[in-house]
Amino acid sequence: MNWDWDKLQEKRRRQAKNPPPQGGGDGPENPFDGLSPGKYMPKIFKGRFPIWPIFIVLLLIWLASGIFIVNPGEVGVVTQFGKFSREVKDGPHYHLPFPIESALILNTEMVRTIEVGITSETAKRSQSKAEESSMFTGDENIVHMQFSVHYNIENARKFLFNTKDPVVLLAGAAEAAMRDVVGRSKVDSILTIGRNEVQAEALRVLREDILAEYDMGVRVHIVQLLDVQPPTEVEEAFRDVASAREDRERFINQAGAYRNEIVPPAQGNASRIVNAANAYAAQVVRQAEGESQRFLAMVEQFNNAEDITRKRLYLEAMQDVFSSPALEKIILSKDGQGSVLPFLNLDRVSPVRKALPQEQAAPSASMQEPNASFVTPAPQAGRGPSGAGSGIRSGGGSR
Amino acid sequence: MKRSVIAVIALILVAVFFFTQCVFYVREYQRALVLQLGEPTLPVREPGLNFKLPVIQSVVTLDTRMQSFIIPKNFIRTSDLKALEIDCYACWRIEDPLLFVRTMRSEAVATQRLRDIVYSRITAVIGTKPFNDVVFIIKDDDADAGRVQEGEAGVIAPDMALHNPHEQAARSKMMEDILQQSKEQTKQYGVSIIDVRIKRMDLPNRDAIFKRMNAEREKMANQYRFEGQSENLRIRSEAELERDTIIAVATGEGIRIRGEAEAKAMRIFSEAIAKSPSFYEFSKSLEVYRKAFKDNTKVILSKDDPLLRFFNN
Repeated sequence: MNWDWDKLQEKRRRQAKNPPPQGGGDGPENPFDGLSPGKYMPKIFKGRFPIWPIFIVLLLIWLASGIFIVNPGEVGVVTQFGKFSREVKDGPHYHLPFPIESALILNTEMVRTIEVGITSETAKRSQSKAEESSMFTGDENIVHMQFSVHYNIENARKFLFNTKDPVVLLAGAAEAAMRDVVGRSKVDSILTIGRNEVQAEALRVLREDILAEYDMGVRVHIVQLLDVQPPTEVEEAFRDVASAREDRERFINQAGAYRNEIVPPAQGNASRIVNAANAYAAQVVRQAEGESQRFLAMVEQFNNAEDITRKRLYLEAMQDVFSSPALEKIILSKDGQGSVLPFLNLDRVSPVRKALPQEQAAPSASMQEPNASFVTPAPQAGRGPSGAGSGIRSGGGSR
Repeated sequence: MKRSVIAVIALILVAVFFFTQCVFYVREYQRALVLQLGEPTLPVREPGLNFKLPVIQSVVTLDTRMQSFIIPKNFIRTSDLKALEIDCYACWRIEDPLLFVRTMRSEAVATQRLRDIVYSRITAVIGTKPFNDVVFIIKDDDADAGRVQEGEAGVIAPDMALHNPHEQAARSKMMEDILQQSKEQTKQYGVSIIDVRIKRMDLPNRDAIFKRMNAEREKMANQYRFEGQSENLRIRSEAELERDTIIAVATGEGIRIRGEAEAKAMRIFSEAIAKSPSFYEFSKSLEVYRKAFKDNTKVILSKDDPLLRFFNN
């Protein structure tokens, strides 16, 4: 077609003079007269114009499916036809809709947990499961273990594309690490004071020896022992050891208590003995000093007036002695001395001596004088069954 | 109008045919090989959109990630004919997809064959080692068997194995051997064994072990109790000794003090008496007369007695 404007205008003028056979001349001349729109529109859509909006809407929906939002703590991984395209962080993002691109969102901050082994309760119920969760220790004992591993996804890309079933492998690796550590440990420490060290060492082995090689994109935070028990078949024996340990302490404490019971009183006693001795010592010395002072005073007196004092002391003593009613006194004159024969009846003496053991008397120094008549018999002192009574038996007089 | 409809439908069918037969995806963790008439062709197809010829070419996709399989519990004998139960896993990955497809055909087949190979290596290597090289046993003096000393946590560091420093090295070497041998034998399949690890090692015949554990614990319990009792006795007898000693010492001290005091008293007396022995004799005699002759005595006095001097007058 000739789209020259000038020529078209000329043609129009010519056509205006000679009305065209087709359309009317009512409106402005149609420069595109020769081109009927009807010719260039596919005929099948002629009656279906209203359908188009639906397809457009569907198309928009399809396009919109590519919108996705990555929350904080998450990472989005976009693949194009399966191939890794990009990693995206927080915020709204767009990917070309499926099947061109697709996005996977992983939570990388969340700490996840896997548990390895079974609890001892479960172990009690099921023998086969018990065998599965038991571990062999370094000192040839068996323990049941359940522990957990806390980890998070550190690298989303590695996590998705480096390992098939990374969580399963992590569990296996953790078990291997724990077995290694338990196999180097003593059962007593695993059950009691060594738990922390076992956990720490298992973590170290897991991280350094194993995961460093595997490069799974996970980061293990902690390995935690949950339930560690000796197997049912031996748990009573283990408990008994604990109570035996307590028994030992108890025995020792008992002995300590006994010791506290007897030693302090002994110390008290000891003090008492020494104090008594000291008291006695003081007393004895003071007494001696007193006596000697007294003696020395008397000596001084004596020296000052010897004869007089001597006589005085003598007479005082005699007074004391002779004034005692229990003392039998016999005075003989010089003349009488010749006529009275002092007669000591030795026969009479013997009964006294024989009687002595029976009578428990202080042995008396009594001298016998059965026949003397000047004797004023001393009234009996009444001092028990003394030899005085029997010794002065004959000689008459009231007793 | 009809022709247009047919044309469009035909177009759609062609498109569908094209997409299903000629286009395929390979994911990031996969590689694919196009087989022509059953034979794998190069190049190895990378992740993303890939194309192939329809009909005469087919696709095999391989997961090239690191994979793992377990070798379930099995009895394995050591060189000294002791049995162990071992539970392992192995990690591997496809390194050469072409070789892999040529030799293994499918991943299921591959896993089984690899498992067999690794298991045979484990059996072979462990079969050459004696029991004590395979299983680490903490050897104690009998007296402390199994007991944890005060302050000792009880985990032996890898490089500080008790008594047998070469044991730990021996075991690592053993695993190393297993790994290397496995690698060797699987190279021909285009795979690489990355790691072989023992998840659990157990001795069969658990009953015997339990018996032994019980006996050991019983021995320990008895030991504790025995210790407690003998310590008890020791402390008691020591305490009694202490008590007796304290008393004895005090008694001795008491006697000494008394003796000293008495000696001192005697000294004081004799010092005083020494000043006038005659007076002492005199006054003491008078005291004797007083006390001894007061009672139960007969005294015969003569009138001439100086005492009765004034009596006659």
